[in-house]
Amino acid sequence: MSLSASLNAAVSSLATTADQTSVLSRNIARAGDSSASRKNAEVITVPGFGVRQASVTRVANVALFNNVLQSTSSASGYRVIADSLGQLEQTVNDTELDSSPAALLQKLNDALQRYSGAPDSLSAGQAAVAAARDVVTSLNNATKVVQTVRSQADADLAGAVGTLNSLLTRYGEVNAEIIKGTRVGADVTDHLDQRDQLLKQISEEIGIKTYTRANNDMAIYTDSGVTLFDGTARSISFQRTSTFSAGTVGNAVYADGVPITGSATTMGVDSGRINGLAKVRDDIAVTYQNQLDEVARGLITAFAESDQSVVPVLPDVAGLFTWSGGPALPGATLSPGLAASIKLNAAVDPDQGGDAKRLRDGGMGGAAYVYNAGGDAGFTNRIDQLVDKLNGAQAFDPAAKLSTTTNLKSFAAASAGWLEESRSSASNDADYGETLLVRSSDAHSKVTGVNLDEEMTLMLQLERTYQASSKLISTIDSMLDSLLTSIR
Amino acid sequence: MKTSFISTSSLSASTRHSLAKVQQELADSLKEMDTGRYADVGRTLGYRTGDAISLRQEHARLTTMIETNSLVATRIKTTQSTIDNLVENAQDFSKQLLGYRIGGTNAIGAQTDAKSRLDGFLDQMNRSFGSGYLFAGVNSDVKPLADYFDTPTPANRQAVADAFFAEFGMTQSDPNVVNISATDMQSFLDTTFADLFADPAWGNDWSSASTQNMRSRISTSELIETSTNANESAFRKLAMAYTMVADLGTAALGQPAYEVVVDQATRVVNEAIQQLGDVQSILGISEQRVKDASDRMSVQIDILETHVTTLEGVDPNEAATRVSQLLTQMETSYALTSRIMSLSILNYL
Repeated sequence: MSLSASLNAAVSSLATTADQTSVLSRNIARAGDSSASRKNAEVITVPGFGVRQASVTRVANVALFNNVLQSTSSASGYRVIADSLGQLEQTVNDTELDSSPAALLQKLNDALQRYSGAPDSLSAGQAAVAAARDVVTSLNNATKVVQTVRSQADADLAGAVGTLNSLLTRYGEVNAEIIKGTRVGADVTDHLDQRDQLLKQISEEIGIKTYTRANNDMAIYTDSGVTLFDGTARSISFQRTSTFSAGTVGNAVYADGVPITGSATTMGVDSGRINGLAKVRDDIAVTYQNQLDEVARGLITAFAESDQSVVPVLPDVAGLFTWSGGPALPGATLSPGLAASIKLNAAVDPDQGGDAKRLRDGGMGGAAYVYNAGGDAGFTNRIDQLVDKLNGAQAFDPAAKLSTTTNLKSFAAASAGWLEESRSSASNDADYGETLLVRSSDAHSKVTGVNLDEEMTLMLQLERTYQASSKLISTIDSMLDSLLTSIR
Repeated sequence: MKTSFISTSSLSASTRHSLAKVQQELADSLKEMDTGRYADVGRTLGYRTGDAISLRQEHARLTTMIETNSLVATRIKTTQSTIDNLVENAQDFSKQLLGYRIGGTNAIGAQTDAKSRLDGFLDQMNRSFGSGYLFAGVNSDVKPLADYFDTPTPANRQAVADAFFAEFGMTQSDPNVVNISATDMQSFLDTTFADLFADPAWGNDWSSASTQNMRSRISTSELIETSTNANESAFRKLAMAYTMVADLGTAALGQPAYEVVVDQATRVVNEAIQQLGDVQSILGISEQRVKDASDRMSVQIDILETHVTTLEGVDPNEAATRVSQLLTQMETSYALTSRIMSLSILNYL
């Protein structure tokens, strides 16, 4: 082997070391980036030439990465549900504050009891009407909160769909770069990192599965099997609903023309923000609204007045509590939106020119409905009857997902219990999901991430190689020198 | 190739995650230490929040009931003491009548005394309580008995005058009343006059009270009568006895007729006293029931309070221990973070 060949080898070593150093700098530069994977410069020996950098590879672990994607989707789905339930919870609040519909019903019951103790006191009657007004306000407000939560979820769905579409478009661009680069053998590791980052963002919105093909081409499907990206990005579409009231049914999200949310679909997604939002909008909030509506219906029914004539012919009519369809009573089953339309009967509400004494005497529905025919100030039969009805068993619609025969106060308390239980388990799920995400990200980062110490020691190694190669060049130079001197 | 299985970013992230968690727990524990209740009752209790609300409902219900019971008890007590007064007065009147029986100037005294006693009786019967009248039954916003000595002449006095005139053909102030015989007087007292205090005359002329007594719910299942009313026979008899002596021209009657009036009045008053005792004992039973119900509910309230505390409460000592433990944990975590951060191979190169 000639001196010039040695010189060439030494020079190739210098060049390769420079290449390796540049890869190493890239690693160090992204040491703090949790999504960065460690890059490796692969060095090969070229016979009769020396060394050169063949390619740059990256450390990857598909199993761990899929774990990260999965836990990202479920954590973000649970979080959305827990947050929405947290918003709904303001209708119940701390039990100590007695601000839930159940507690206000009890206050109404107490006010009636006091009125029964002093039936001749106008202020006791007005206090009972005021307590009834609080119940109405709380039901009206709770409905507003529930529908706001649903409308918010609908808006967020539109946002999530928009994000998902733009992420898929970007994903398409990066994926194309990767395919092109892989075909010509270029360094695509940074693009691969970028693609992984996009996948993580997509999995926040929706649960996904990936499938890798030749030339590093990767297709994305939802966890239920609907294509999101395969060669080209598929369009995700969603039509927003402008206003929500009880009974409004929101639109489904379509991916590639297939519905992926809603009860009608057979390919519904299982995780991700979109799934969480759809659950809130179509299931949780709807059930809670049903419960509120049933409380309202129970109230209107319990306080209804019946014909007091000797031979009753008139139908029962709404008493203290009435609704948009009053004075007729609502049907015996769930009537959507009742909690929004329930109101105090103007005939008894002093604020609307009514007389609070009608609570004691009856007659809000007309003369035939007067219970206290003698107009006695100490008449307590009607008030006692109302207290009995408030505490008596009623039938409730199974759509409320609570006990179907119970008294109104217990029903309202059970509704609060249902909400808190949902919130409690959703929060626990969300916490669990987040812990899982932290753990799986951690595991993934440990295997694929950059370790500064490792890079620094590698740098020492490269420095030595560089020094040695340089020394080699100068030594060969002096050897050539002495050769040239001798032949002069 | 990669030789290490720990990356720099996961090393620094590890303490960060645990710190955030510990801080959240610390905030919750501090709140629990302050309030003695769970930081987030709903979240901790879950479905049992419904139970907590039910217990609180029951607690509020019993508290209100005890509150209204005390109002009812006060009403009964006031009624009882009023009846006590009536009995005392009636006994006194009955005693005085013995002396008045001699007649002469005593008859004038008897009439004056009876007038003032009738006035006092009506006053007592029209006592109000809260926003209603004690003896009015359920018709509590109307004065139960009409005032006898009012001007213009009220229906009850007019009725007595009319009856007297119809029987004897003269007014009570006519000097000829001295000629009314004992037999005539006795028959007048037993029939026409007695009818004035029986229905329907009593309801028309004297009383606006309802025969239906006030009813109160004193516990979940007990609905009892908690008042009496001016239509009870005891009160009618008292009114009859006082009116008899006060307004039948008593002072001017001949001795035989006068004695008939006094004897009749004594008899009626004594009957009234006996019947007042009955009314009092009925009210006394109600009073006892109210007291028993309230006592029972107080015990229930104590039990409910214990239940609520068991459900929602946190042992403050336990919370305090947890706080100090968490603080130690945080300090350790801070110390570790700074140690890890200062640990770099750069320092040794």
